[in-house]
Amino acid sequence: MNELLISLILILVKLGLIFGVVLTMAAYLVLAERKILGRMQMRYGPNRIGPGGMIQPLCDVIKLITKEDFVPARADKWIFLFAPGLTALTALLSFAVVPFSPPMTLFGREIPMVVCDLSIGLLYLFGLSSLAVYGVVLGGWASNSKYSLLGAMRGLAQMLSYELSLGLALVPVVMTAKSFSLTEIVMAQSTWPNMLQHPLAFIIFMISITAESKRTPFDMPEAENEIVAGFHTEYSGMRFGLFFVGEYINLIVIGAMTTVFFLGGWNGPFLPPVVWFVGKILFVAFLFIWARGSMPRPRYDQLLRFGWKVLIPLALLNVVITGAIRLAMNG
Amino acid sequence: MPKLTIDNLEVTVPEGINVLEAARELDIIIPHFCYHEALGSVGSCRLCAMMFVDGPVKGLQMACMIQAQDGMVVSSTDPDAIELREHVIEWAMTNHPHDCPVCDEGGECQLQEMTVAGGHGVRRYSGKKCTFTNQNLGPFVQQEMNRCITCYRCVRTYRDYCGGTDYGVFGSRNRIQYARFREGALESPFSGNIIDACPTGVLTSKPFRFKTRLWDLQEAPSICPHCSLGCATVPGGRYREVQRVKAGINRETNGFFICDRGRFGYDHVNHPERPRQGRLDGQPVTVNAALLAAREQVTAIASKHGPDSVAFLGSSRSSFEASVLLHDWAKATGSQQLVFEAHQGRDRAARTLTAQLGKHVRSQEELRQSDLVILFGADPLAEGPMLALAIRQAVRNGGKVVVIDPRPVELPCAASYLPLSPEKLPEVLVALGKKDFNAFEADERVLLESLVEQLKSAQRPVLIGGADLLGGKGVQALCAAAEKFTSDERSVGVITLLAGPNSYGGALLAGDGPDFDSILDAVQEGTVRALVCLESDPFREARDPARAHAALGHLELLVSFDSTPNLAAQRADIFLPTRANAEMAGSYVNNEGRLQAFMPVIDPGVPIRETGAGNHPPREFFQITPGSSPEADWLLLAGLLERELDLVGLRESIEKDHPPFAGLSSIAAETTGVRLTAQGTLPPAEEQELPHAADSEALTLMAITGQIGSCWLAHLSSPLAATEPQPYVILHPELAAELNLAADERARLTTHFGHCHIVIRTDEKMLKSLILVPQLWDTALEGMVPGGMLDCRLEKEAQR
Amino acid sequence: MNLWRDIKGTLQPFWITLGYLFKKPVTIQYPEEKRTPPPRYRARIVLTRNPDGTERCVACQLCSAACPVDCISMQAAEDGDGRRYAGWFRINFARCIFCGLCAEACPTMAIQTTPDYEICNRDLLKLVQEKEDLLIDGCGKDMEYNYYEHAGIGVANERGGNEDEYGPVDPKALVP
Repeated sequence: MNELLISLILILVKLGLIFGVVLTMAAYLVLAERKILGRMQMRYGPNRIGPGGMIQPLCDVIKLITKEDFVPARADKWIFLFAPGLTALTALLSFAVVPFSPPMTLFGREIPMVVCDLSIGLLYLFGLSSLAVYGVVLGGWASNSKYSLLGAMRGLAQMLSYELSLGLALVPVVMTAKSFSLTEIVMAQSTWPNMLQHPLAFIIFMISITAESKRTPFDMPEAENEIVAGFHTEYSGMRFGLFFVGEYINLIVIGAMTTVFFLGGWNGPFLPPVVWFVGKILFVAFLFIWARGSMPRPRYDQLLRFGWKVLIPLALLNVVITGAIRLAMNG
Repeated sequence: MPKLTIDNLEVTVPEGINVLEAARELDIIIPHFCYHEALGSVGSCRLCAMMFVDGPVKGLQMACMIQAQDGMVVSSTDPDAIELREHVIEWAMTNHPHDCPVCDEGGECQLQEMTVAGGHGVRRYSGKKCTFTNQNLGPFVQQEMNRCITCYRCVRTYRDYCGGTDYGVFGSRNRIQYARFREGALESPFSGNIIDACPTGVLTSKPFRFKTRLWDLQEAPSICPHCSLGCATVPGGRYREVQRVKAGINRETNGFFICDRGRFGYDHVNHPERPRQGRLDGQPVTVNAALLAAREQVTAIASKHGPDSVAFLGSSRSSFEASVLLHDWAKATGSQQLVFEAHQGRDRAARTLTAQLGKHVRSQEELRQSDLVILFGADPLAEGPMLALAIRQAVRNGGKVVVIDPRPVELPCAASYLPLSPEKLPEVLVALGKKDFNAFEADERVLLESLVEQLKSAQRPVLIGGADLLGGKGVQALCAAAEKFTSDERSVGVITLLAGPNSYGGALLAGDGPDFDSILDAVQEGTVRALVCLESDPFREARDPARAHAALGHLELLVSFDSTPNLAAQRADIFLPTRANAEMAGSYVNNEGRLQAFMPVIDPGVPIRETGAGNHPPREFFQITPGSSPEADWLLLAGLLERELDLVGLRESIEKDHPPFAGLSSIAAETTGVRLTAQGTLPPAEEQELPHAADSEALTLMAITGQIGSCWLAHLSSPLAATEPQPYVILHPELAAELNLAADERARLTTHFGHCHIVIRTDEKMLKSLILVPQLWDTALEGMVPGGMLDCRLEKEAQR
Repeated sequence: MNLWRDIKGTLQPFWITLGYLFKKPVTIQYPEEKRTPPPRYRARIVLTRNPDGTERCVACQLCSAACPVDCISMQAAEDGDGRRYAGWFRINFARCIFCGLCAEACPTMAIQTTPDYEICNRDLLKLVQEKEDLLIDGCGKDMEYNYYEHAGIGVANERGGNEDEYGPVDPKALVP
């Protein structure tokens, strides 16, 4: 009984920690993105509120909350109201299986530094990232706007196409770790990160995850200059905010996934594991922001053609080669 | 039907039109100044040059001077023609000042357009410009002679078309000046037309001076609300006020011009005392609340005292749709007490006309083509000014005019006069039919006998009557006389001047209902307890205002719908503000049964001139425009009766309920309108004469409609009100001499209303035994309802 | 080779943006730093006066006609000597887009744009300016022009008194 209560409290504490850290990180990622993009374009970015614009995220939240929550006429009201929450929710749920440090020993008990160490954590992540597109599709469809519907369709097609190559790129990783558990995968990289073992898989993974998460240069679903803002054209106030926050939580999830699958998780010399973990996430996030500042958006047909005709064959080939090498090595 | 080629396009045009008009058929607009469809061609501006390449005429010619003939090949784009036009424009511009920014014509200036179209941009003439001295041409027309390009259009409009005599052209070569001989107000009642006619800014409107540019003006085709002729107008408004009226074009009615009353009588819309708020028992309420109260209280009285205890009084001022709805309301209530004119004589005249006009109906255009016009008790300048202009055109086309009237009827053309007392007017009509003139004096007999001959031989004769003097009996005699002289080859036309823009429409709906005098009796007796007035003022419009005042005091409920500050609106228990003609869509039926639609120009509201007190508009924001509660009369009634609230639907349902009004749903503004085929019903037989005490000592006074000051809407319009005369009477110089009075002298007039001070005017054309007094609103002569006869004394005023 | 070109084309921008990341931004920090606009800058609109001190505006409505956002409204009025002037004149700076078309349309050089660009206000009504707020004591960019001396309808000078005019003619004279 006592044991159960303690584990419950521990889970709640971990949940609270993750919740707080992830949301704060998401908020400041917005600021960081704006500032980094600004500097890349020889501007300052937000620098008016607080020292160096540090209070900007808070002001943004206040603004979004106090704005009118607008529902377009003839929109499908309930789905319209529900869709943004779905996006933010799926992104947050992903964190349940992400290990951010090796198990710790506290008061003589071993505490896994993950909310829930599922043995099929990788599949769980995949399931959630597929669910995330529901928010986009439902929001776009319920808005009763041509732009939103176009954006939703694009998001859906893009997600379906790149999910395949994403999955195939991770097969070598699973082969190496011989497990679907994320903790196991990290443990398997204690000497060499997967990035060096599977460079081709890493590149395919990075491209696919960019498309999967709708980040620039693959932000067709919101493509401002063609379809206004795509699936969230009709959203305002905090509902738009939820889409927005969801996107940045997603960015952290991606960072965590990349870290866990390819960058060796919390493994690293000198510094405590959590610092390594967070540092790697932030580095990945910076990579994405950097890409946003550097890359133009390809055409939609180019994106799909690249996915189906280049990435998937390449990923298949990679699986075959890796499998062959492992077979040969294990002899 | 000549067929000619203009700019390589072939066109077949009617016989007798000129090449300029033929080009217009093809939508090729040839620049021109002096040509005007109503004024004809003179070829003086030299601008409409076209190259006649082949055919009966050859070379560079003025298009307006050449009749379209078969086989002509004409080019408007020939280099020679273009060069000539360029030079002509440059000549026209040599003396033109550089003052377009301060010129009121700017934005609607034909000279501006033609200069740009002609390609003249840079001034080459470096010499000095001619200048002129301006004249003050009175309250309506502003002159700036420096701008003149000597096209002669003003003189041709004023003298030739409108028959004015006090404005003309002076000087020669570059000293030509259009002016009066001596400075002073233009005398013609059609003087405003020279504003429309002038192609540049020489003659502009004084009341509209520096008000608004054309591009800021909201304009819409409308129908003039001042008399029964239904002339087309184009009112223009800005800043929540109607600021001017321009003549509209309707070839069947007014043609291209309108009278000054119509042109400058727009200001009643902006009247500062206009009631703009619904009222219930003295308290301001919303229109909806007043409307509900009106329905409730009228229904309550009808159910308590029987349906006939509610009387409905329409007017000639309200739209046809509203009149129909008032009729429907009376029918729904079950009341027989429905009348559309408070003045008994006018009411009977209108109803008789609708019943008997038939094939004798004539439009103004047909009158312009007439060869014999006889006026029986009709004074066009007072009762329908544009008719006088139509009569003038008949005279210009070779027609003859005879005036049989006790009044000194002024016409802008030559006419023969036969002064007869008003009682004799129906008699003379009967006598004409019978050719029996024994009841008349010898000299009268000679003229009447020759009239019979002329009537027999005339090809297109028209008899004109006036509702004021003829009444029901007279109009019946007029129609009978027309019938009598109609032969198989041609019919004799009848035009009757009625009281207001929708008199005919009201009369069609009135049926054989009672007249207002009998309703007043019923009110006095107490059988009628509630009166609903639709834009009418029974206190002042009834034939005997004193009786109306006495009787209407007994009313339990007075409901008034109105857009003007009249007595009924002030005294009503329930008041509902309606929109003025320029603020709503609707239709009127004019005196020939022509149904014409009008469109809204502005939305009602207190003018910015007033809210800003002359300065800039107030620096406050309101959700609702101040003074915007008035609604269209038909909309209020439709709301009350729970009928269709849109005009299209309402017109369709009226058409369904009242088959004689077929065509109502298809009328459109800016067309010639639809002539209704519906026939009215004769009013009930007895026609009471007003009690007239035979005091042999006293003089007989007859109230008439004056040219200025007798029209209620015009009286409320400041540009016209400024020209309203002091109270006056007109009498024959011989009678004046007998009374020891002279023209322009002040005298004291005593009637049963009391004493008042008036100015004497004399006129030789009138009947010797009568004294004429005009009804002048808001003066001592307000109670002189036209058509009434009373005894009076006239004494010289003691020297001060 | 195409693939090589594509890879280079993909990676090169990253290098460039990274370089910019460490350069000093060119942004001018507005309330602390200000730049001097050129003299023909189109900002606050003013109404100028004639050299003799009278108002130049004749309320001809050309500026309000030219205005693409309808921010100018006015009412013309008449002075005793026939001079047309603006009875009231209002510019709504909350609407104005500072395109300068009004100044271009003005035939009397009355309405002119100035480099004073600091007009922002939270109270919209303060941005609705009347004639009193707009009039300045000066001629602006043209120091000599006086419209009525060229108009030729006898306002600034007697009728026929401008330098390019003869005196008024006598139409009733008998000389040919």
